[in-house]
Amino acid sequence: MTQTFWHDYDWQLIHAPAQSPTMHMALDDVLTTEVSEGRRKPTLRVWEWASSAVVIGRFQSLRNEVDSTAAVRHGIEVVRRISGGGAMFIEPGNTITYSIYAPISMVEGMSIPQAYQLMDTWVIDALAVLGIRASYQPLNDITSPDGKIAGAAQARRGKAVLHHVTMAYDIDSSKMLDVLRIGREKLSDKGTISAAKRVDPLRSQTGLSRETIIERMIETFRLKYRLTEDQLTPDELDRARKLAVDKFASEAWTNVLP
Amino acid sequence: MHGEYKIPGGKLVVVDCSEVNGRLAEVRVSGDFFLEPDSALDVIDAALNGLPIDSSQDALASAIEAALDDDVMLYGISAEGVAIAVRRAVDAGAGQ
Repeated sequence: MTQTFWHDYDWQLIHAPAQSPTMHMALDDVLTTEVSEGRRKPTLRVWEWASSAVVIGRFQSLRNEVDSTAAVRHGIEVVRRISGGGAMFIEPGNTITYSIYAPISMVEGMSIPQAYQLMDTWVIDALAVLGIRASYQPLNDITSPDGKIAGAAQARRGKAVLHHVTMAYDIDSSKMLDVLRIGREKLSDKGTISAAKRVDPLRSQTGLSRETIIERMIETFRLKYRLTEDQLTPDELDRARKLAVDKFASEAWTNVLP
Repeated sequence: MHGEYKIPGGKLVVVDCSEVNGRLAEVRVSGDFFLEPDSALDVIDAALNGLPIDSSQDALASAIEAALDDDVMLYGISAEGVAIAVRRAVDAGAGQ
C-alpha cells in the first residue's frame, strides 16, 4: 500500500454535545470501523464528557487498576476502551479528549513510535501556539519540560487506525489516587506512573479556559490539514447507542480481565 | 499466584496464575501495554498454560515467541518481560 498523508484527505470535525463514557467507547469503536470500511471520511472527534469515569486499557486487570468501592463512592463509572495503555481518570471539566480516525495507509510501514509522533504533531503545534513547549515522549506521552500533559493510545482495525488522546486540563489528584490503584512495581524504573506522573495541567500552564484551548486546538488542525464541520449520522448514532449498552456497559467486556 | 514486572522503557506486565499438577494453569497476563491484534493476549495465555511450573525464564519466553504470529505487534511488552512476571508469580507463590 502506498503511504498517504494528511493533505490527501478531506478531514471531518465532529464536536458533539456531552455523551456518557460508554457512548464514547462505542463511538470510537463504530467510527474506526466506518473509516476502515470507507463509509466515513477521516475524522477528528472532540469529546465532551457527560460524567466522570475511569477508562482502563484493553489489557488491564480491572481490580488491579481500580478501587471499585472508591469509584462507587465518588460516583465514577469504570469503562474499558478498545485500545491498550493505562488507566485514565476523567472528570468532565478537567479533561480534554479527542480521537483521530485515520486511514491505516498513513502509518503503515512506520515504527509504532513514528506513528504516534505523526498523529501527535498537530497537537504539539497547537500547544506551542498556547505557549507550551511540548513534545512526544515514547512510548505514548505528550510532555512539557514541567511535566506530563497527555497520554495517547492507538488501535488498528482493518484499514483504519484509531489514535485517541486524553489531556489534563486540571486534576483532582487526591480523588484520582483514591480510585486508581498505583502499585510499587509500576514506579520501579522511573519513579512515576502514567496517571500520577508529575502532571502539569493545561489550566495552570495557560491560564485559559478549557473551551478556549479546545477552540485553539481545532483551529491549529484546521490551518494545518483543513477541516470540514460534520455530524454523527443517524446510523452511526444508532449503532453506537446499541454497542454502548450491549458491549461497553456489559460485565463481559468491562470485566474481561477481572 | 501473582507477579508483576515493569519492563524497563516499556510497560507493566502482570501475571495471575495457579498451579495444577506441577504445571501452570489459569494464566492471565494483563497490563498497560499495547498488542495488535488484541486476540494475541489469549495466544500468550494459552502458550503458558500447561508448561511445567519450574520452567526457566528462557523456556517461558521461547514458548510465547513460538506461539505468536510474525505479524503480531507488541509495544511496551515483550516475551521476556512476560516470562519474568511469570517467574515472579511462581517464586512468590512458592512461599519465599
